[in-house]
Order: sequence, then structure tokens, then C-alpha cells
Amino acid sequence: MTAVSAPAARRPVPATRRPGLATARLLRLELRHNAMLWMLPVVIALFWVTTYRKTMAMPPMWNLRAASMQSGAIVDFITPVAGAAAWMGSREARRHICDLVTITARPRWARLLATWAATTCWALVGYLGCLAVLYGVTAHQASWGGPLWWPAAVAAASLPALSALGFAAGTLLPSRFTAPVAAVVAFFTLALSTQLTVGSQSYWQVSPLVTGPWDTGPDAGVATFYPDLPDLPIAQVMFLAGLTTALLAALVLPRGSGRRGLRAAAGAVTAAGLLAAGTAVALAGTGTLDAHGMIAIPALHDVANDRPVRFTPICSHTSIPVCLNPAYASYLPATVTALEPVLSEIAGLPGAPARISQAAATYQQGAGNSVSVGLAGPLISGRPPVYYLLLPDQLPGPTMAASELAAKVQLGAGPGIISTFIGDSPRASQAQHAVVAALMMAAGLPQHGSPPGTTPAANSEPVPSGHSRCESPAARCAASSPGRAAGVMNQPPEVAPGSPAYAAARRFAALAASARHAWLVQHLTALRAGRITVAQLP
Amino acid sequence: MTAGEAREVPAAAAPVRSARPARPPRAAGRLVRLYATSRRVPAAVAAIAACAIGLRIALIGHWDSYGALQLPLVFEAGSAAAIAITTASPLGDPERVAGRWLPFLRLAAALALTAAAVSALAAAGTGAHLAGGTLDVLRNVAGMAGIGLLCAAALGGGLAWAGPTGYLVVGAYGLYTQWHGPALTTPWIWPARPPHDLGAAICAGLVFTLGMAVITVRGARDPVGE
Repeated sequence: MTAVSAPAARRPVPATRRPGLATARLLRLELRHNAMLWMLPVVIALFWVTTYRKTMAMPPMWNLRAASMQSGAIVDFITPVAGAAAWMGSREARRHICDLVTITARPRWARLLATWAATTCWALVGYLGCLAVLYGVTAHQASWGGPLWWPAAVAAASLPALSALGFAAGTLLPSRFTAPVAAVVAFFTLALSTQLTVGSQSYWQVSPLVTGPWDTGPDAGVATFYPDLPDLPIAQVMFLAGLTTALLAALVLPRGSGRRGLRAAAGAVTAAGLLAAGTAVALAGTGTLDAHGMIAIPALHDVANDRPVRFTPICSHTSIPVCLNPAYASYLPATVTALEPVLSEIAGLPGAPARISQAAATYQQGAGNSVSVGLAGPLISGRPPVYYLLLPDQLPGPTMAASELAAKVQLGAGPGIISTFIGDSPRASQAQHAVVAALMMAAGLPQHGSPPGTTPAANSEPVPSGHSRCESPAARCAASSPGRAAGVMNQPPEVAPGSPAYAAARRFAALAASARHAWLVQHLTALRAGRITVAQLP
Repeated sequence: MTAGEAREVPAAAAPVRSARPARPPRAAGRLVRLYATSRRVPAAVAAIAACAIGLRIALIGHWDSYGALQLPLVFEAGSAAAIAITTASPLGDPERVAGRWLPFLRLAAALALTAAAVSALAAAGTGAHLAGGTLDVLRNVAGMAGIGLLCAAALGGGLAWAGPTGYLVVGAYGLYTQWHGPALTTPWIWPARPPHDLGAAICAGLVFTLGMAVITVRGARDPVGE
């Protein structure tokens, strides 16, 4: 081969710039060497010990479990994510390689962003795994409705923010102590700052731990008759996104992080992030507790969400059907068992309710963090008459087991149905008092308050106003809201033992059920009108 | 040899010529000082002091029952994390091989820091309503420090904070269940138990003893360069 025949040397082909590939490779490297990966077992263990077990102990209702998951998951992720992010942020300084990496091809902000993104990715992987298990099990158990995604989104948006917070701390104050300090400070700030939440117009509601009216906890009464309001979650996500953006952009601000134009742009992004976060805080401060128990923010509110949810109630096949919202299907057997003795006493009598129907609760903000919950309309209405009730779980307080709920329904709604049916009240006749007492005796209900060893009926006792949060570990929060009795209180006056009314009641209760029924069919109208005396009772 | 090097040689040799066996207390003091410096013990003491000051300031505020009970736990966890972090060694294997007194130094440092943390937090609660009192502080700090030391042996001194801060969440949840049952009554979640609970004290003491033993014998699992 001569020099002439030799192929001309090709011009060097410039290397193809594929920044996406390089970024992906950098991210892959960061993912492989990230402390958050080591924190995943800790996070999963925390989630199982605290959130999963607590949430699974709740009835299989999406509203309860989603709210519990949101606040629980965030608390579980605070310390591992903030700590791991701070640890990763301080890596270069800890290893004394700042000068070494300064001369690499990637700019400082790109390297930092890749490290933060890898930390956040692992945190999100852990969270999504926990969420998938919890929501998957709930989907298997829930009788009605579907997953609530806004609570899941708020918890997901919290992770990048926590990661950014820890990462910024680690980058700006690199030390081996930065990680635990960031973790503890983040926990303290988030978990204990909710102490400052007072009422539904508090700016602190922007905290991602807040899922509704503060201090009432997950409430089975919300988001079943009316759609779950996204107002507060939108403000929370906006706050978290703004905070994340501002923190990440602030990393580019120090001198030496990049060119002047880049730093100016980072300054603008930081300002925009802070503005978004500030706006979200302001929006949260305009929230109000709506009648359906959720926080409505006027600027973010969609009136379409005020329309009730359509559903077909599930009813029992008893003499008087008991109908519940399908979300509460798991409560139906306990409710029916509790009410059946009462319903069998009044079934077939003139004016007896054609149906016992669960109603939506109505909420009203009280002083401080107290919330009044009650029935919006009358106890009984319509033709044929329908008796409306609130299940104890629709009232603020901890969720309860079926047996607890049955006891509360029996002691609260049972006497209420009889009393309403007979027209008993403090101004009613002694005969009415006696008949109500007799029917309660026949149905096996206690006469003078709750029997020893049982909790008071949910809708039988007015409770003092004040914080709905329990102030004593010994007490459960069941009866802390002033509104627990509102709207559903129609308890019969007590009949004193030894009184003529009591004797008449015992006499009437001792009759055969058919005899009582026959007498009531004949005399009920007169009894309600107050024209029957105690002496006339059989 | 350059002039500069020539100047250096006598200077370097001078101490050799005049070297006398150092007095044991001075040598021991120097060893302790070097150990404390390499483990960032002064910074840990500062962190513990900051926790105590933070607790004192926080106790001035009004807290409801939830906050009042959970508040000391946060600062106790912070102190325990600071203790655990001091186990990280920047020297690695050379020190392990040559350091005859290393196990004793580890033990002494961990014990002294735990005692300092308990004293500082208890002092911070003096005259204020510190939920659980000094006994609670002693039990919780010792137990969480033990967790931190065990984490240091397992994960490395740098990540040892994960133990106390993770346990902080469990402890806070245990306190929460005192209101919202079913309450967690296992003594292994000692922050949720009353200060005089013997089972909780035994569990915390066991974890502390185990952590001390492991860290004394083995030291923290530290990759060189961290």
C-alpha cells in the first residue's frame, strides 16, 4: 500500500453529547452509594410498628385509614430521611474531597442535585412500598369507596421537602453531627409544632401532619356522605413544593457554585419557591371547618365538592330496617344486634318508624380546637317516618371495636328511639315516662344511666366543652367533644324507683309482648296526647 | 541536603536527644485528650449542652399533655445520638492495632458522656415541670445511648444516630398510645412506661450494658475515610 492509496485519515468525530445519559449514570452511582438505602429497613420497621398496626386496627374505611396513613407515615419518615439527606449532603466535606470534585466535569449544583435526587428516590421507594401494602390491604377489606389519593400525595410531597431540608443542612454545615441534629430538629419542628394549631383558621394547618380539624384525629364521619375536600392538601402540597424548590435553589446561591447568571436564576427560583410556600401558609390560614367536617379554603374550594356523594344504603332485614351508608357496612351487624330488641317492641305500632337510617353529621367549630358534631335535621321526619341516627364512630374520638359500638348504640340510640316514638320529654305525662321505662326494661336496657362497667352512650350525655383532645392518659377521648350529644339527644327522663310511674312501668313490662303490643295499638294516640294516667296502665 | 533540610534535622532530632520517659499522668492525660479530640468529644459535649439548653427553653413554654411528655424524649434522643456519634474513629485499623488502651478509652468516653447527658438534662429540668423527672431522663438516655452504641457497632459510628432517632419515633408513639389505645405496655418501649417501672428500667439498662460491652470490646464499625 502506497501513501497515495492509503485512506485519508478521518476527521475526528466529536463526541456526542448525551447529557441525559450522563445524568442517569450519575444518578445510578448516587443511588448505589446512598445512605438512605441503609435507612430503608429502619423506615419500614418504624412504619410497621407505629403506622401500619395502628391503621389496620381501624375499621376498613378509606377516610380513616388514609388520614392515619398520612400523618403516621410522615412521622416515621422524618428522622431517617432528614438524617440521611444531611449525611449525604455533608459527604464531600466529611471525606475532604471538595477540591477533588470541584475540577470534575459536572458543575457543583448538578452533583448536589443528583445526590439529593438519589436520596429522595430511595425515600419515595420506601414510602410507595409502605403505601402500596397499606392501601392494598384496605382495598381488599373496604366495603365501599376507593383510595383517597390526596393524603397519599401530601405524604409523598413531604419526602422531597424533608430530604431537601436535611440535604441543605448537610451541605451548608458539614459535620458528623449535622445528620442527627437535622433529624431531631426536623422531628421536633414537625411533630411538636402542631401544638400551635388552634381552630380551623390556623396557619399551622399547613403542616403536612394535619389531616383535618386538629385534635379530633381521624374521623369516620368525614368523607363518606360528602367527597373528601382537597383544599387543605392542595395548600400543603403547594407549601412543600415551594419549600423544596427554595431549599434546592438556595444551594446554588453561594459564591463558587456557578456562573453569575446561574446564581441569579437560582435566586429567582428561591424567591419563587418561598413565595409559593408563603402563599400556601396564607391560604391555610383562611381555612374554615365546613359543615361536613373538613377544612375548606375559599380560594381553593370547588363547590362541586359540596354535593353529597350518591350511594345505595345497605339495610338489614329486620322488622324495622336499619340502613347505613355502605362505607359503614362493617358496623351493620353490631348496630342491628344493638337495636333489634328495641325495634321489635315498637314494630307494627302506629307511627313507628318505617326505617332507621344513618344520617350525615354536621360540624361546627367551637372555641379553641373543640368541634361540635351533631345531626343537622330532626331525629324523625318524613312519611312514612324515618328515624335518623349518628353512629358513635361519626363523632369525634377514637375509633371503636364492634362490641364498643354496639354498646354505645344500644345505650344511646335505643332509648332515644323509644322516647321519640312515645313522645316522651321532661314535660310529658307520668304514663309516658312509665311506658318508655317499661319498653326499655322489656328491651333489656338499663334504667338509670349506664350499668357498671360500660361506657356512657355516645348520644346520651352532654359533655363539657373544651379541647376534644384528651388531657389524661387514663381516659379515652370518646366523649371529649361538646357536640357528641348535639342533635341526637332525646333521652327519656329517669323514672325513680319506688314512684308510682316506676311501679306501673314494672307492671307494664311484665306483660306478655303481645299484650303490650295490643294495648299500645289501642291507646298509643291517647298516651302521646297525655290523656292516659299511670293508673290506667295495665 | 539543602540548607532548609539541614535546619530541620537538628530541630527534629532535638526532642529525641532530650526525650525522657513522660510522667504517666501527663501521658495518660495526653492520650485522653487526643482520643477525645479524634472522636469529637468536645463537639458532643457542646451538642449535649445545646440539648439541655433547648430543653430548658422549651420547658418555659406551655405544652399540653402530649407535648409535655414527648418533649424531654426529643432532647434525650438528641443527646444519645451525640454520644453514639463519638464512637466514629477517623483512624481505623492502625489505631485498633496500636491502641492498647483503646477499649478503656471507649468505655470511659461513652460512660462519661452518658453521665454528662443525664446530668445536663436533669439539671435543665430543675425547677420546671419535667415529665417523668430525673429517673425518666436517666433511663431514657441510658437506653437510647445503648441503642446508639449498638448501632455504631453494626452500621458504623457515622450512621449510629439512626438508632436513637428511630427509637425516638417509637417512644413518641408509645406515649401517644397512652391516650389512644391499645396502649403499648411492653417494657422494651421504656419511654412509654412510668419512671418507676422496673421492667422498663431493666430493659433500658440491659440495652445500655450491651451497647457498652460491644463498643468497648469491638468499637464502632467504621470505614476508613469517613
